Amino acid sequence: MKRALLRGLLIVAGVLACTGVPYAFEDDEGCLLCHKYPKMGRITDEGVRRSYYILPDVFSRTVHRNVPCRDCHDYIQQLPHREVKNGVTCDSECHSIRNPATGKNFSHKIINEAYQKSTHGRKKIETGLDSDKPYCVTCHTNPLYNPAEGRPPKRITDRCVVCHEKRDFVNAWYNHTGRRIREVKRSSEEIVELCGSCHGDEELVERHVEAAREEGRELGRKFPFAFESYTESFHGKVTRYGSSKAANCLDCHADQDNYFLSVHEIRPSRDPMSPVSEQRRTETCRTCHAYADRNYAAIDPHPTNHPEDSPFRYWTEKIYGIIGDSVLIMLVGMAAFETVGRRRDGVVWRIRQGSSWWRKSKRGRDRVV
Amino acid sequence: MKLSAEARKVVDTSMKINQVGDKDRREIERLIEMMPDDRVLLYKNVVSNPIGDLPRYSVHIRIQHMLTFVTFLTLAFTGLPIAFFDHIWAQPLNSLVGGVDVSRIIHRTLASVMIFSMIYHIITITLDSIRKIATRRFELQRTIIPLFKDIRDFKEDMLYFAGKRDQRPEMDKFMYKQKIHYFAAAFGNMVMVISGSSFLFPDIWASILPASIAPQFQEMMRISHPHEALLALLVIAFWHWYNVHLAPGRFPMQWTFLTGKITREHQLEEHFLEYLRCLVEIPEERAYLYDLLVARELEQDPEPEASAVTDPEPLE
Repeated sequence: MKRALLRGLLIVAGVLACTGVPYAFEDDEGCLLCHKYPKMGRITDEGVRRSYYILPDVFSRTVHRNVPCRDCHDYIQQLPHREVKNGVTCDSECHSIRNPATGKNFSHKIINEAYQKSTHGRKKIETGLDSDKPYCVTCHTNPLYNPAEGRPPKRITDRCVVCHEKRDFVNAWYNHTGRRIREVKRSSEEIVELCGSCHGDEELVERHVEAAREEGRELGRKFPFAFESYTESFHGKVTRYGSSKAANCLDCHADQDNYFLSVHEIRPSRDPMSPVSEQRRTETCRTCHAYADRNYAAIDPHPTNHPEDSPFRYWTEKIYGIIGDSVLIMLVGMAAFETVGRRRDGVVWRIRQGSSWWRKSKRGRDRVV
Repeated sequence: MKLSAEARKVVDTSMKINQVGDKDRREIERLIEMMPDDRVLLYKNVVSNPIGDLPRYSVHIRIQHMLTFVTFLTLAFTGLPIAFFDHIWAQPLNSLVGGVDVSRIIHRTLASVMIFSMIYHIITITLDSIRKIATRRFELQRTIIPLFKDIRDFKEDMLYFAGKRDQRPEMDKFMYKQKIHYFAAAFGNMVMVISGSSFLFPDIWASILPASIAPQFQEMMRISHPHEALLALLVIAFWHWYNVHLAPGRFPMQWTFLTGKITREHQLEEHFLEYLRCLVEIPEERAYLYDLLVARELEQDPEPEASAVTDPEPLE
């Protein structure tokens, strides 16, 4: 009897093991009890549909796969939990993950502090103009940082397993370090596209320009056409074609010495700490243009032909256009006039055979046939 | 034909330069006398080989033209898709040449070839001029240098096309149209080289120029490079190609850029003064013209005082 019971239990356990969801991450807190359902969600008071459905298979491939849910969702104290007011902020401290270098709880506080000091800095929940600014998740979407990772190359990990014993550990470590050793930055084209998603939004830009005007607040001179002027510049044109050799937005507006932190603390050009400020512009240009000096730094990197921004360029283009069109019209007109004149004299329009003057001329003096 | 003062001067100078002997001189003078006053009859009646009858360009000039036009077109096809990136044709054309990283290398390499062609041309014409001056064969009006005569020729030519004149003006080896084109191309090339170099070495240009004009210079060059390229391409496509390929009498093309020779009818029609030099320099052309005048009965009635010989002796 006992044997039969044991056998039965083993069979049930086997069936459950086979049919259960193969969660790659630990769900010790039981969040998936509810969040595994695709229709888990609500419609907010503003009419926005929110989905709270978690796809375990997708989550298990994200950078946060080893972080227990409540390390970030630390306001959840009971199940079912209460209504969430503010949600997760990226400066929360993980209780389960420790920084192996310092032994402290892991967090994004350093990045967040830099970001808050930047011109883009905002709280997660913002109203008014600041809600136009990008929050962490505007730029950091998991798919970008999780390119489809295949199984780590066995010929390499086999070597690690000899000492580190556990293949899962080795694979995870390989992915963690490998991802960071490989280029994980966005491409130049993607960076421009990302910045342009706000700076190229005419309504958003106009909203800020208008507000600054009303408040008497200073804005960057190029702010109204930052994106348009960049795409029209040589840097922008070449970058648009996929070249990574020309400067993208962050190459100038972020500090290259500490790039990965600096991209989070973009400052307005009037801030002396900005790499494009008067004080630092030459040094920034020199990153690519070895012989750049103050003269070079005075060249407009965001050229426009708006009369209020660059009257010189505006009028030069106008004059160029008028001269170019006139020259072309005059030359083509002259050729047409000449053709009419010579046609009247008897020249023919056919492949030449000895002469081009086979037609009768209206002026007489025809070819002697 | 009673030569105009200009034409007479050209013939006399040419005979002096070429040290023409008395016999040839008499032959030339008699032939000129036989030519009808109406030059239209001449260029309408000569027989021309479409690939050219009379020498015009040296092999150096033909090589320079070839280098310039091949590099110019390739430079335009690799550069314009970048400058006019938002046009519908830009992306496919850029992909066709291998993408921007490839097209930039092609563009810069061919720009060097074009600059080489320019230098080669300057050296050629300078050395040739020095040689001619040294041997006392230099004639300013035979060069491409613009003269006041060109303005007069332009006016007279327009009046001819409008039906207000009987004949086209007596133009030299390079007529007003070619001079406009040559100097437009020379100016355009200079603009392209300077503006292109300001794209390639912006920091060096900025360090050379005074601070007060460095930004404006760069701005000007940024505008000039694509605008000048587009203007040049349009002028080439609609004017130059029309003149050398599509114009009646030139269709389907002038072979001069390959053979270095110009057709007899073209020389007579648009470069009559140069044709007179050909009569001085090329005895075979004198013989051809004599035969033509006799065969087609185009010879001019002799002037009363010059009618000692009623039946002209054939030229040797």
